[in-house]
Amino acid sequence: LARSGGAGGLAQWVLVELQGEVEPRQSGELAGSLLGDLHYTREGVPVLIVGHHILYGKVVQLEKPFAVLVKRGAGESGPAGPHTHYTVTALIKTKLLFKTRPKPIITNVPKKA
Amino acid sequence: GAMRSRAEVDATLQTAKLNPAELLPAVHCLNFAPQAGPGECCLLQLEPGLCAELEAGSSLVIRGEKDEQAVLCSKDKTYDMKIADTSNMLLFIPGCKTPEQLNADQASYDIIHSQIAGFSNNYWELRRCRPKLKKLRKLLMEDPYEGPDSRKDQTLTFSKYTTEDLLSLIQASEEEILHQLQVIDACKIEGYWRILEFDYEMKLLNHVTQLIDSESWSLSKVPLRTCLEELGSLEPTEMIEHTLLSYGRKYVDDAGEVYFEMNEDKICRAIAEMLLKNAVKFNLSEFQEVWQQSVPEGMTARLDQLKGLALVDKTSRPETIFLLKVEDLPEDNQERFNSLFRIREKWTEVDITPYIQDLCAEKQTVGALLTKYARSSTQNGVKVYNSRRPIP
Repeated sequence: LARSGGAGGLAQWVLVELQGEVEPRQSGELAGSLLGDLHYTREGVPVLIVGHHILYGKVVQLEKPFAVLVKRGAGESGPAGPHTHYTVTALIKTKLLFKTRPKPIITNVPKKA
Repeated sequence: GAMRSRAEVDATLQTAKLNPAELLPAVHCLNFAPQAGPGECCLLQLEPGLCAELEAGSSLVIRGEKDEQAVLCSKDKTYDMKIADTSNMLLFIPGCKTPEQLNADQASYDIIHSQIAGFSNNYWELRRCRPKLKKLRKLLMEDPYEGPDSRKDQTLTFSKYTTEDLLSLIQASEEEILHQLQVIDACKIEGYWRILEFDYEMKLLNHVTQLIDSESWSLSKVPLRTCLEELGSLEPTEMIEHTLLSYGRKYVDDAGEVYFEMNEDKICRAIAEMLLKNAVKFNLSEFQEVWQQSVPEGMTARLDQLKGLALVDKTSRPETIFLLKVEDLPEDNQERFNSLFRIREKWTEVDITPYIQDLCAEKQTVGALLTKYARSSTQNGVKVYNSRRPIP
């Protein structure tokens, strides 16, 4: 596992943990699509608006941080044969945990400005 | 699609009936990155210390060939890797700021367009494990070094391994591998790590002990220089020195001369192995007599020196002893116990301990292993252990 280079230390990312699965709004791939808006209250409570739902969460400092590994495909052959390389791209020490049941936004159609 | 505008964000807030005054001014608009998909990125949960190591610039390595379970190695530790599933969805977001960071930062943010780099519903969990070092000895035994006169070495057989080779083949951290090389008395010859063939090793040891005897040196003060001078014509000086390092403790006196304090237990043990190697078993009292006669003058041969090397059968009449080396037994816990119970149905704790000690994980005791893998009973007033189930 090589450490990704880069000026200074490893990047710090954030984990967002949601209950259940995330499905694309229109039938199609998730890639490129919008998930939603993430706000914080002045008290620091994360609020995520996804589609017609509001999710309230909390900021959690992870006791056991995560490393994000990116697969780099087959490496050079050594005596052990070709092996996959993983690179540590970032560390995650914080997560936004959304465990509360989503509150539906009661409305007809979202207003467009 | 197009990036969201402030107006759109505000409209959404209004529809959601959230009061912007109760919120921090910054908002993250989260989009899935164009290449975001499960499988490209994965999460590895870090055990204490690993995070700090990564931040300090160390690398972690995943090791394992196709037929092996992958392990993760830091500079000095080895971990089993296991996938943990979660019923939740984990999204990883670069550049996402926490409320703390937003409040601390002087720059005022409005919209932060964040891309979700990847997502997953599982992650790798780590559990510290024993380094898998049995393979190290197996590799080095493919081509033991028989001495400079051996014709074998002159042919181009490539069962030879450099440090780099070993690092890529052994599921253990570098420090654990280097330490084990020292423990098994491996030496580097022409850049390759080699184990000495047993007879050659005994030949070298014999040269040294004969010299100690003929010079009447104290066993705790064997001079390096004289050894190399006297024996250098018989064997390569590196091999003489290697033997002294393997069977003695090096020290330097006030005058700067290098001496060795010979290791009585290790020498007696090697000689016992030499004697036991060539017989299925030995009559115990005969063996003890021959053994004591074979060890250097001034050394005492004792049965407790043979833990993990030989086993005494107290049930046979007369009592016998036979070679049983722990390093020849399986590395896996269950397989180790199976093979031990195949050799002997019931074991006392004293007898079995040397053969399972190396299985203990960090902070695990022999007692805990016995509770897990064996069943105890009492035989003639003595507590014995046998297999939990029939051995295949």
